[in-house]
Amino acid sequence: MGRYLFLLAGLIVLVLMILSPWAVPMREFDGTGYLLNPLGAMNPKGLTLPEGLSFGWLGVVFGLWVGLLLAASVVVFLPNAATRARLLYVLGGLGLALFALEAYLFYQAIASANEAALAAGARRPPLRRYALSLGAYLGLFYSLGLLLVARMQLPGGRAFLVRLRGVVVPVVSLLLAVVVGAGVVAILRPGLGTQGVEGLGMRELIAGKLDLVTYTFQILFSPILNLPGIFNSLSFATPLIFTGLAVAFGFRAGLFNIGAPGQLTIGALFAMLAGVYLPLPGWLLLPTAILAAALGGALWGGLVGWLKARFGANEVINTIMMNYIAASVLLFMLAANEYSFFGNKVTLPFKAEGFEGRSEEIQEAARIPSMIDILAPNSTFSWALPLGVAAAIGVYYALRRLELGKRLLATLAALLVGYALGGVLPGIPVTISSALSSQLLNGSFLIAVLALLFYNFYLFRTSGGYELRATGLAPKAAEYAGVNLRRKMILAMFISGALAGLAATHYVLGAGMDGTYRLKTAIPSSVGFDGIAVALMGQNTPLGIFLSATLFGVLLAGGVSLNAQLGISNQIIQVLQALIILFIAVGGFLPRYFTDPLRAAQVETEARAEQEARQAKSSPVAGD
Amino acid sequence: MEIVIALFFSTLRQATPLLLTALGGLFSERSGVVNIALEGMILFGAAAAAITVNRIEVATGGLEAFWIPWVGLLVGAIVGGLVGLIHAIASIKYRADQIVSGTAINIAALGAPSIVLQVLYNNTSTSQEVNNRLPLVNLGIGEVSVLVLIAFLLVPVVWWVLFKTPWGLRLRAVGEHPEAAETMGVNVIRMRYTAVILSGMLAGIAGAYLSIGFLNQFIRAMSAGAGFIALAALIFGKWHPFGVLGATLLFGFAQALAIQLQGGDILPATIVQALPFILTMLVLAGFIGRSRPPAAVGKPYDK
Repeated sequence: MGRYLFLLAGLIVLVLMILSPWAVPMREFDGTGYLLNPLGAMNPKGLTLPEGLSFGWLGVVFGLWVGLLLAASVVVFLPNAATRARLLYVLGGLGLALFALEAYLFYQAIASANEAALAAGARRPPLRRYALSLGAYLGLFYSLGLLLVARMQLPGGRAFLVRLRGVVVPVVSLLLAVVVGAGVVAILRPGLGTQGVEGLGMRELIAGKLDLVTYTFQILFSPILNLPGIFNSLSFATPLIFTGLAVAFGFRAGLFNIGAPGQLTIGALFAMLAGVYLPLPGWLLLPTAILAAALGGALWGGLVGWLKARFGANEVINTIMMNYIAASVLLFMLAANEYSFFGNKVTLPFKAEGFEGRSEEIQEAARIPSMIDILAPNSTFSWALPLGVAAAIGVYYALRRLELGKRLLATLAALLVGYALGGVLPGIPVTISSALSSQLLNGSFLIAVLALLFYNFYLFRTSGGYELRATGLAPKAAEYAGVNLRRKMILAMFISGALAGLAATHYVLGAGMDGTYRLKTAIPSSVGFDGIAVALMGQNTPLGIFLSATLFGVLLAGGVSLNAQLGISNQIIQVLQALIILFIAVGGFLPRYFTDPLRAAQVETEARAEQEARQAKSSPVAGD
Repeated sequence: MEIVIALFFSTLRQATPLLLTALGGLFSERSGVVNIALEGMILFGAAAAAITVNRIEVATGGLEAFWIPWVGLLVGAIVGGLVGLIHAIASIKYRADQIVSGTAINIAALGAPSIVLQVLYNNTSTSQEVNNRLPLVNLGIGEVSVLVLIAFLLVPVVWWVLFKTPWGLRLRAVGEHPEAAETMGVNVIRMRYTAVILSGMLAGIAGAYLSIGFLNQFIRAMSAGAGFIALAALIFGKWHPFGVLGATLLFGFAQALAIQLQGGDILPATIVQALPFILTMLVLAGFIGRSRPPAAVGKPYDK
């Protein structure tokens, strides 16, 4: 059964390789491209490549791939499992090497063509948009698949996958979501370069669609290719880290917090009130404003926790209701100045003048500086942050023997000392491009990293966090062991809300929304919902949350150019998120031993027993 | 007097989508499946109905005929039912967490229509206005959409189906104690599929009412929490058709009041708009009567 599925997968890869573009050396701004394929290039819009560019090697490479596919198809039917595994490893390695060769040849050819054109007097390189495409990627994926199949041939292969289920389920869900998203794009939009061209064959039309799909995802992932793009992605990721942590914290305690949007809104209101109106000395104002953001969210979330603990009111419905109430509160405060209650005029001071619903500006001292200003103030690279972080990490690992509280205190001290020392050291002058300095990434990102650390240490290294997780896993057992469930419920919602509220530091105190230091009614509170996808995708682990928030940050950053270039709404990312949530909810359609911890444990135990039995057989007892 | 009549009709109009959705939710939750996806199903239904009617109008060159809005309504119901099927497959076949699966649908409902709108109308937030809206019915002192009447007539029908027919008894049994129902020969899985798809269809009809009955176009996130309020009405109404009727009328009245107070000087509209939500929370906390959900709601059924 598994072998025939493998053959089917190989066949699909082969057919797609024949149909899809392998590389696109040239592309117009609207996406129309010159599609290379081993069976002949496709060029519906008639683009002309610079002279001297030859891709004859593509046919040879394709021949090698066909040979590799055939060899792998034969190998899986060999009788000996160990031989199968060894040969599949070799084939997988060969595939990876072949892909690397393709990439080298292609980018080398492009680079030399561009150089030649520049040397001949061209003002700009003639090839600006170029990339490998689906046909080449398929080989890469197939090779990775071969390595996985090889591991599966060895004893304990299934248990190996089950042990990694925390990675397997999200990754499979992500892949499924990408495939479905690609299908949606392919259905909704005509293929690149095929619109309005008469007399195209089936082959061009299919290749056009496949090229469209590939280019869509290339654009979505393109921000990782340059520094401004990375900054932009992290700036989108910062609020997602906070809301992802908020939702995950609730999940860990067995609560579903859909109220992150409302908690974020109230956190933003508190931060604005503190940042605009509190008459505090400068050094105290920023910490107070940050704490205010956390407090606002914490109260909004904690109220729901209290209602559940005191009255047994369902937190799911209540958090949703609180989202709408928070939205009303925000509008009430910022959409207008004058209200009348039963004929009495009431004037609120919060809305700044102008058409837009927005607050007054945050005081200078309560603003979080942009990341560029932290890393390189006045165009001089500062050692403060790098040295502080390095000192903190060094001290943390050096003091392994110390008890956790003291260790963390020492780490904090090292961070501060390193930061101060680094600030004194002479910096390196650097030039910062305007594309980089206009990025909205700000110090709130560092707060997000601290929040991740808090999440990690509190939940996994303290007794309070242990109790909280126990409450989430088995409330009755936890209660029997002496945990006060009601208090834990309130605490969990309080902290969860605080984490969501802190997302406001990015939007309000850090001007992460549009570069102005104000609270606006248009604050994108729906990132609270995105936090659900982040938490599920990250499997409620700190590293997972960071990675999935960054992934979504990249997609959101890429979505902006997707809209500009291909006219595909960046709402596609929302749909991808929804699909990921749905696929993770159904366990990625994987067998139940991937999602059910009990069954997973069973698989692992069986594999261990099998291994022990084999060892006993192979090493005869002494004296036998 | 005029203002009373205006308020009365406004209440009916506001309560209708809530009522249709809540009646749908009633089937789903009575069968033991939490349907937090109602909000998303309304949006999918609304988008499908408005786009269908618009496409027919474009294809026929602006024809105005009585059957066009009904086709739109039908497509809205079918699309709602299909979304219901997705929720059903996830939560029944794959034993997904029903709230997570529902949340996924709600998030998809914010994004998916925009992608289609972008392709069809080159903007992400609204569809083109349609001329063929669902017909109005004259009630002597004013006109309401025909769906308003249908929604209110559905209440006794649903009550009869749920409490007076064998099918209704089985449905409630499945939601209270699926193992016992299975022992008595009821097909739990099939009952749940039917109920969730039905709830999706009713929510889809509620969406069609919003886009081609109440208004004449689809607007992104136009449900504005109607699905969640319907869910609250379900709780407030103690999972009973007549209770649901009362709850939706109350919530509809609060919304009508908010519209009526817009620009007036009694209470700010933003505060009145929050009233249904505050009311729901008070109900949930048990300040206004206790409400007990079906015993097996939210639990995947494992044979």
